[in-house]
Amino acid sequence: MNSISSLKNVHKLGLYGDHNDKNENQIIKIKEIKNINLFQVVKYKNTEKNISNFKIDGLNLPNANKTSSNPSTRIIWMGPDNWFVFSSKDTRENLNNFKETDFAITDLSHSRSIIELEGEMIYEVLKKGSPLDVGKLKEGNCANTVYNGITITLDFISNDPNTIRIFGLRSFGESLYHSLTDSCLEFGYKSI
Amino acid sequence: MLYIKCPFCGMRSQNEFAYGGDASVKRPELNKDVSDKEWDDFVYNRKSLRGKHIELWHHVSGCRQWFKAQRDTATHEIFKTAMMNEEI
Ligand SMILES: [Zn+2]
Repeated sequence: MNSISSLKNVHKLGLYGDHNDKNENQIIKIKEIKNINLFQVVKYKNTEKNISNFKIDGLNLPNANKTSSNPSTRIIWMGPDNWFVFSSKDTRENLNNFKETDFAITDLSHSRSIIELEGEMIYEVLKKGSPLDVGKLKEGNCANTVYNGITITLDFISNDPNTIRIFGLRSFGESLYHSLTDSCLEFGYKSI
Repeated sequence: MLYIKCPFCGMRSQNEFAYGGDASVKRPELNKDVSDKEWDDFVYNRKSLRGKHIELWHHVSGCRQWFKAQRDTATHEIFKTAMMNEEI
């Protein structure tokens, strides 16, 4: 897969903000995630199918505010009977047993801008633009919320080091990137 | 800031929600003769009361589900929230 970056005009590699006299671990790292398959899986209301019998790349479909993941695939809860499946594998094969009479499967691979933040201070960056109580959320959680008015999805990937992926609608990508990097300036950040 | 407990996501800020109006309004039955008065009441006429009110909210920047909330229109206190298929 080779997708066109939605952030190529704004994501310029380098060091920015208050990074002087700080080592690599003290500043925030910003990365664009691209070339990843994204499928939305929605279970129809009228189907009798039990989701506990369905697996994608060996993973269960997670419950509210949770994710399930392995090195190649991450599944994020988006709402009741609604999941996003991110995978470096060809996810379509993994979804073969999801019959179209029971599930709506939609390829959204090109629909989102994905920005990954890493560093000790990234929760502070989130708090600047989002009303979400991030202190309660940790590795394995996810949430839909807003950042400076832009609807986003957060995937809490790791607490060691703190790593979060932020998904926004592709057309909001540049604006979201500006909002996030603006909030990162006081901590210093490195675009990688 | 007002906090609202989404029945699916839990406690979230009001910024993530959109108000959806009075939840007690019932649509006139299908395939039944409807008088102008009944239709007016369904579409336009609201009590707009002061006090406990059952209303619809949409978690528009969250799980995107509609749900019911019981709120005091004078104090803004929210007493409870419920899924659409639950009684409140
Ligand atoms: Zn919700």
